[in-house]
Amino acid sequence: MALAKGAGYTILVTIASIGAGLAIGLLMAVLSRLQWKPVALFLAVYLYVFRSVPVLVLLFIVFFGLPGIGIRIPPFTSMVLSLGLVSGAYLAEIFRGAMSAVDQDEILAAEAMGMNRIQSFLYIILPQMFRMSIPGMINEFTSVLKYTPFAYTVGIPEIMKEAMSLAAVTLRGVEIYLAVGIIYFVIYKLFVMFFMVLEKKFRIPGLAAG
Amino acid sequence: MALLEVKNLVKKFDDKDILKGISLELHEGQSKVVMGGSGCGKSTLLRCLNLLIQPTSGEIIFKGENITRPGVDVRKLRQDIGFVFQHFALYRHLTVQDNITLGLRKLKKMPAKAAVEKALYELERVDMVEHRNKYPAQLSGGQKQRVAIVRALAMDPAVIFLDEPTSALDPQMTREVVTVINKLYLDNITMLCVTHDAFLAKYISDSIVFMDEGAVAAEDIAERLFYDHPDPRVRQFFLSVIDHR
Ligand SMILES: Nc1ncnc2c1ncn2[C@@H]1O[C@H](COP(=O)(O)OP(=O)(O)O)[C@@H](O)[C@H]1O
Ligand SMILES: [Mg+2]
Repeated sequence: MALAKGAGYTILVTIASIGAGLAIGLLMAVLSRLQWKPVALFLAVYLYVFRSVPVLVLLFIVFFGLPGIGIRIPPFTSMVLSLGLVSGAYLAEIFRGAMSAVDQDEILAAEAMGMNRIQSFLYIILPQMFRMSIPGMINEFTSVLKYTPFAYTVGIPEIMKEAMSLAAVTLRGVEIYLAVGIIYFVIYKLFVMFFMVLEKKFRIPGLAAG
Repeated sequence: MALLEVKNLVKKFDDKDILKGISLELHEGQSKVVMGGSGCGKSTLLRCLNLLIQPTSGEIIFKGENITRPGVDVRKLRQDIGFVFQHFALYRHLTVQDNITLGLRKLKKMPAKAAVEKALYELERVDMVEHRNKYPAQLSGGQKQRVAIVRALAMDPAVIFLDEPTSALDPQMTREVVTVINKLYLDNITMLCVTHDAFLAKYISDSIVFMDEGAVAAEDIAERLFYDHPDPRVRQFFLSVIDHR
């Protein structure tokens, strides 16, 4: 029962982090199109930093470090912020790659038709980018799931934390951690299935997902 | 008065003169073809005329307005000039029908239902109605170009530019597309078409402009230009492009 509640928190942290990551990644990808020097520099630094700092270190900085300078962030927000910032950096790269795969001729055709840059981005680039990003996004989302156990270090009662207390009380660590492994597998499988259905629904002939 | 009048148009790329003072006129209902060797500036010319490329100097008068002057509404202008590309440039994520309705809905602000009706009417003209729900990847090259042509026509532009519309097609598909463009010609659609294909040029033009190294070297009807021109450069060029069967 405690494990089921823990699984609920795990899923919650995963979905919230994915949401934050998508928002950040999309914003970064859009900014990268501006090709404005200061913005480009900021992006480069952002991508470099958040892809090289381990999630756990980032989480500790946010949760244990920031209060030192007077900024107190609750555990759940700290976790989602840390994981969101990291996955946002990876998603931004996925989106940028997909955007550069959009046919230049189609963008030119949109311009020749009388669209401005916002219109061609909304109607041509963005929809194609999303479809081509799906495999990369699934990859990134499952990796977010696998980072969620770090949440126990800041006291979020997700599966890992629940399992540890259970194991301490019952002394049946093997069975409990095995059960945790299986629960992760099931959550992973559900996630992948959900995105596969989504991918199928939006599949377009000739727009290779990948 | 001409629909489109180009006066002494110059385009430099990095100090290199690509267009060296082009002048030409296109009247309403008239169809002109531009021919000339690879790299002589034909695509650059078309793209200057709808301001996809900013000309270096010269004047372009479209519908009586000098569009090279600052403050011209470029998007409005482009909506009035259809553009057909060599490689079709259909939007891959949209069906045939949606490729045509996109501009109508988003740029002409047409209601969805009216846009679909318009799209079906245009698709009928090129015999593509039954393919309306397919995606570009599911069409042959000839079918793609037919869709690209009616996508341009659907916006009811004052003129259509075509940049080598048959160059990416095999002979069978080329014939398909020539037939379609010839139909537009017979309907007196105003056209400016760049091509290497003498067969296409002959069947869709009132007159042919021959370009050489960024300048207009000759302009005449197909018969005189192809077989019987005093300028040796012109004779030389057409000797090489015409299939003398
Ligand atoms: N954006 C550009 N920058 C520099 N040179 C260009 C550019 N676009 C075209 N050119 C040059 O202009 C010349 C004419 O090109 P283009 O108009 O495409 O020729 P055509 O369509 O007649 O084959 C070529 O030599 C090409 O290399
Ligand atoms: Mg060209």
